Amino acid sequence: MLETQSVLTDTAMTSVLAGESQLRPSHAKVKRNVNADLLLTALIDAFSILVIFLLASFSSSGELLTMSKDMELPKASLNEILERNPVVKIDGTKLYLEDKEITTDSLIAELIQLRKQFAETRPGEEYPGIVTVQADRRLKYELLNQIVLAASAAGFGDIRFAVLAK
Amino acid sequence: MRHNRKHLDFEVNLIPCIDLLSVCICFLLLTAVWLQVGSMNVKQAIGGQSAAETPKKPQLWVNMGADGDLTLNVKESSAIPRKLAQMKLKIVDLAKAVTQLKSLDPALNTVLIQPRAQSEYDEIIGLMDEFKKAGLNDLGVVPL
Repeated sequence: MLETQSVLTDTAMTSVLAGESQLRPSHAKVKRNVNADLLLTALIDAFSILVIFLLASFSSSGELLTMSKDMELPKASLNEILERNPVVKIDGTKLYLEDKEITTDSLIAELIQLRKQFAETRPGEEYPGIVTVQADRRLKYELLNQIVLAASAAGFGDIRFAVLAK
Repeated sequence: MRHNRKHLDFEVNLIPCIDLLSVCICFLLLTAVWLQVGSMNVKQAIGGQSAAETPKKPQLWVNMGADGDLTLNVKESSAIPRKLAQMKLKIVDLAKAVTQLKSLDPALNTVLIQPRAQSEYDEIIGLMDEFKKAGLNDLGVVPL
């Protein structure tokens, strides 16, 4: 009764366990195909598409900027590739140079210090004088102006404003 | 004649393929950078060369006024008539005006933006983007 009418007839009895059944050992003699073939081709197709998509969006330059939660960079459609340069970050009212908190008064001295370090480690090589500025899009120019002035005073004539691609 | 009864159903073992693809997906997902960060390059003039030594190049000075008003002022250009060398416009009309100026003087490549103290960083970058679209790539920001 249990064997004939229950769902076990269609499931457990036809599964791998069927051969081991204690209810009717004679079943073991019946040769049933117990190889359940999974369709792996569809799975490989999906995986391949995922790999292609991820490879296409892969960026080898890595993360050059550390973004805080509240910071929103401005957007621009025509931008250039961001390179590794000293980063001046304005986060609210705080100012950071290479993730080290500084004040606007000490910014020029810190930037000059970077130049000196470069000259000591790479003698004879000309310092590129490039600085990357990372700031929130709602920032007023009066704050940004201090960085522009400090960078120019320290000999950093090339300023790169970090933007998000539109 | 001997008949070889070979099993003709050849099946490729797909399990290593799945393993490889899974590892690839995990690696790419972990190393993916989802934010596409770029940079807007600005060259600031640093003193050192006298004004007489500096070659005269046509320049476009852009003054950012309140309410999105812009005042354009072309300097050192003989190709652009005086009437067009100074104009006041809104940002929506900027692309058309800059294209016109560029067609009159193709040597015009330098833009100096003069923001107000209350100008937002986003507005300045938006303005730079508009100039880049019009082919003026040598950008600068005038300090307050």
